[in-house]
Amino acid sequence: MTRVTNGVLHAVLALWAALVTLPLLWAVVSSLKTDEEIFDSPWSVPSKLHFENWGRAWQEAQIGRYLFNTLIVVGGALVLVMLLGSLVAYCLARYEFPGNRVIYYTLIAGMLFPVFLALVPLFFVVNRMGLLGTYHGLILVYAAYALPFTVFFLHGFFRTLPTAVAEAAFIDGASHAGVFWRVMLPMARPGLISVGIFNFLGLWNQYLLPVVLNPDPDRYVLSQGLAALAVSQGYRSDWSGLFAGLIIAIMPVLLAYVLFQRQIRAGLTAGAVK
Amino acid sequence: MGVAGVAGAALAGCVTGGDDGDTGTKGDKSATNPLGVPVDAPLEVVIFKGGYGDDYAKQAGSLYTQKYPKAAIDHKGIQRVGDVLQPRFVADTPPDVVDNSGAGRLDLATLVASKKLKDLGELLDSPSVDDPSKKVRDTLLPGVVEDGTFDGSVQVLNFSSVLWGVWYSKSLFAKNGWTFPTTWEEMLTLGDTIKKTGVAPWTWQGKYPEYMNDPLQSLAAKAGGMDLVKAIDNLEPGAWQSAPMLAAAEAIHQLVVRGHIMTGSEALSHTEAQNAWCKGQAAFIPCGSWLEGEQQAVTPAGFDMVMAAVPALTGSDKLANGAVQGASSESFLVPAKAKNPQGGLEYLRLLFSKQVARGFAESAKALPVVIGATDGLTLSSGLSSVAAAAKAAGPNVFTYRFRTWYAPLSKAFDDATGELLTNRVNPAQWAERIQKAADSVAKDSSIVKHKR
Amino acid sequence: MRHGRYRFLAGAMIPPLLLYGVFVLSPYAQAFYLAFTDWNGLSGQANLVGLENFGKLWSDPLFLAALRHNGLMLLVVPLVTIGLALFFAAMLGTGEKRRAASAYRIVYFFPQLLSVAIIAVLWQFVYTPNSGLLNGLLSGIGLPGLRRSWLAEPDLAIWAVMATMIWAAVGFYVVLFSAAMESIPADVLEAALLDGAGRMTTFRRITLPLVWDSVQVAWIYLGVAALDGFALVQIMTVGPGGPDNSTEVMGLSLYRNAFTYGKFGYASAMGVALFFLTLTLAVLLLRVSRRERVELS
Repeated sequence: MTRVTNGVLHAVLALWAALVTLPLLWAVVSSLKTDEEIFDSPWSVPSKLHFENWGRAWQEAQIGRYLFNTLIVVGGALVLVMLLGSLVAYCLARYEFPGNRVIYYTLIAGMLFPVFLALVPLFFVVNRMGLLGTYHGLILVYAAYALPFTVFFLHGFFRTLPTAVAEAAFIDGASHAGVFWRVMLPMARPGLISVGIFNFLGLWNQYLLPVVLNPDPDRYVLSQGLAALAVSQGYRSDWSGLFAGLIIAIMPVLLAYVLFQRQIRAGLTAGAVK
Repeated sequence: MGVAGVAGAALAGCVTGGDDGDTGTKGDKSATNPLGVPVDAPLEVVIFKGGYGDDYAKQAGSLYTQKYPKAAIDHKGIQRVGDVLQPRFVADTPPDVVDNSGAGRLDLATLVASKKLKDLGELLDSPSVDDPSKKVRDTLLPGVVEDGTFDGSVQVLNFSSVLWGVWYSKSLFAKNGWTFPTTWEEMLTLGDTIKKTGVAPWTWQGKYPEYMNDPLQSLAAKAGGMDLVKAIDNLEPGAWQSAPMLAAAEAIHQLVVRGHIMTGSEALSHTEAQNAWCKGQAAFIPCGSWLEGEQQAVTPAGFDMVMAAVPALTGSDKLANGAVQGASSESFLVPAKAKNPQGGLEYLRLLFSKQVARGFAESAKALPVVIGATDGLTLSSGLSSVAAAAKAAGPNVFTYRFRTWYAPLSKAFDDATGELLTNRVNPAQWAERIQKAADSVAKDSSIVKHKR
Repeated sequence: MRHGRYRFLAGAMIPPLLLYGVFVLSPYAQAFYLAFTDWNGLSGQANLVGLENFGKLWSDPLFLAALRHNGLMLLVVPLVTIGLALFFAAMLGTGEKRRAASAYRIVYFFPQLLSVAIIAVLWQFVYTPNSGLLNGLLSGIGLPGLRRSWLAEPDLAIWAVMATMIWAAVGFYVVLFSAAMESIPADVLEAALLDGAGRMTTFRRITLPLVWDSVQVAWIYLGVAALDGFALVQIMTVGPGGPDNSTEVMGLSLYRNAFTYGKFGYASAMGVALFFLTLTLAVLLLRVSRRERVELS
């Protein structure tokens, strides 16, 4: 009996795995087909592997350049938001001071409002500061919009860290900053990793902010580049090129995930069981 | 209260001071510089880079720098024009020329209502590039100036001429001995014949129901004449439930009733439906004249696509046989607050020259609105059929304006047609729904009204 | 010590709060203000109209339809996602083949790596009627009678969209929940099993209460996601928002009013309404799930 149930359960697990991978595999296969083959049948196997689709996406759609821009912007914003976010979260979680809750909830509220309504006013802010279409401007804005989630996540994390070590450090004469940098931050590492992953994914896929704040085609980030590709395929029917572009965009993230999945899972574990 | 100002001091600086209208500098006018372009002022051009690409706009740019070598041109080819330019229009720091086209463009009616656009009269009355004895106005196809006119002032000029019709493959029809029908009744009969061969008579871009609205509103215009078209545009009571409109809806509905539409079409995007059609799964597809360019990459050799005007609804139509719905697209405009508005106008003057227009016809496989620009060119199958349809129609080219004027009404129209084509509503219910939407637009005082 | 404390707090918090205030708070504050005006999105003029925009919301059939659909999504998406994720996490936890379980978790997480736009484009192809994956599959397994125009039938379209949301979300919560489950001491579970408790009972009595914190977090994330749905609907559905507004969501209504109809003030009012709705919901969910936690444990 249990053996039968076990069999069924394993089948269910396998089925979900298939459901998850099928569309992805299919996109990979489609990116190697000609446009005609794509429309012939979803199941057909490419007559020959059309890697030139990838080349086209890479060159004509300049995916390489967009990848570079994205790495700079996302990398910069990630470092900034992790630094600032952990500072705020730590202060809010471990210190009592007037206004603590107000600040916390004001930060959290930032997650609940549709971003596109704030876009036009945001443009003026960025423009007035002369940051429009610059890497550092985008980095600041990306970091600012990732801040609420980072604080929300790390706040809970810092609260649960044991106090004994910190107290011991204080007694040893460590400064507040010293305790944060040398004691609390290292202890929070797993939480930092998991929120870092979320932030990386969120920023990597950010679309609305760059569309408005990053008008120069040479500075496009990947999501903008893909949108450009999607638009031109809508008018030119270059489906294979679009698929190739999609795959190229997915690839780095997927690779990073598979390579670091152990650390990622460890981070998630720590973050989840706070 | 100024919006940019409402934000308080932090934003106040983004509004340019002064409301005297003429912001830009002017140079001296001369025979070679009729618009008085300041010869060394930079020019910023933002072009929608979609199916037509932006090579033609770059060509106009290089003509400009040849003429004014001291002027630096900043050319941007982008996709979502509205997202990028909206804040710049609010801040009154727009570029000097914009091609406001494609999905995600700025709503033209709102731009006009907010007085963000420069009147192009000065450009239209200036001498044309190819023949200085002719004004720019006289080098454009009929209807172009009207298309860009809002309440008596020309605010946009469209670069590409578009006709809407029904497309089919000449080779497929020759092989089967089918001929394109002249009335809708014949269309239905031919559909029955086609169906027997296992080919679906029609497919359409169901994900975007507006594609089927074009044949539908063409049939209505033919039956009801320009009076009907104007009644619809002017939001007259009962216009959508008038006899010709109902008859047109009934005619399109017959395609559904008789099973002439390929299964699943209602869920297909434009590319999917058009590819099914290119593969010979369906005989007809409704589309504008850009179809050939859009399908370049996937059209099989020898397919020979051609476009024909929508057949007459009855034998007693008000509009002459061959009348066709036409309008222009790729909307070029010069913002009222451009830094170099004269340069913007001059850029457009060069853009609307035969040389640039010709290049556009060759690369984009679409008709430019410049008269005679394609003379002597060997046109592809589709493009020459479009040119032929335009010639056959002569002055009988009609266009509806409510789509640009009243976006909420066109949404109601699209939604209802989607339902009609899946047989979830009948023509009477279809008309009732849209009439209701038209009435509510007419009543809504917050929507600026236009008349024709 | 005291002195150092405030200096540290100030030094640590002022830069991030400044960043947040300038780039997030001030634009949002302006958007809130705009909700009380008739601004058209382009003009420099905006007139105060008081509460008029909010009054109009309740007689706007599209907004009400959007509210209904988001409500449905709010009920279905978190429930199904959490249910599936708990089930998979529990399964992966009890299996003895750790290697396989870890492989499954890696694979399940994949959709989390894709941007919504990519997910929407992929699923549009899955649902496409004639050359799509789903209908192809149904024909392939001998059930051609079940083929549908998934996104073009008003009764199905919203479910098709929700299925996509669930597909995209489950993997992440599997990983989250199995992480939480791993932290349950093994001897507690073994003791329960030795006492003769069945798998289901053990799960309900021991596992679930111990991972309830994570479930609560999941509930909030998924609730917020279900109130959005904009990108999926915008890219995937007929119209978009169709057929016949059967997949209209608040984000889409808002977007269309702002950018297509030039009713920015009105759209901002929708945004404000959406904001308070989400806020209320988050608070409510926290309250409710807290009470349940007490009852369960």
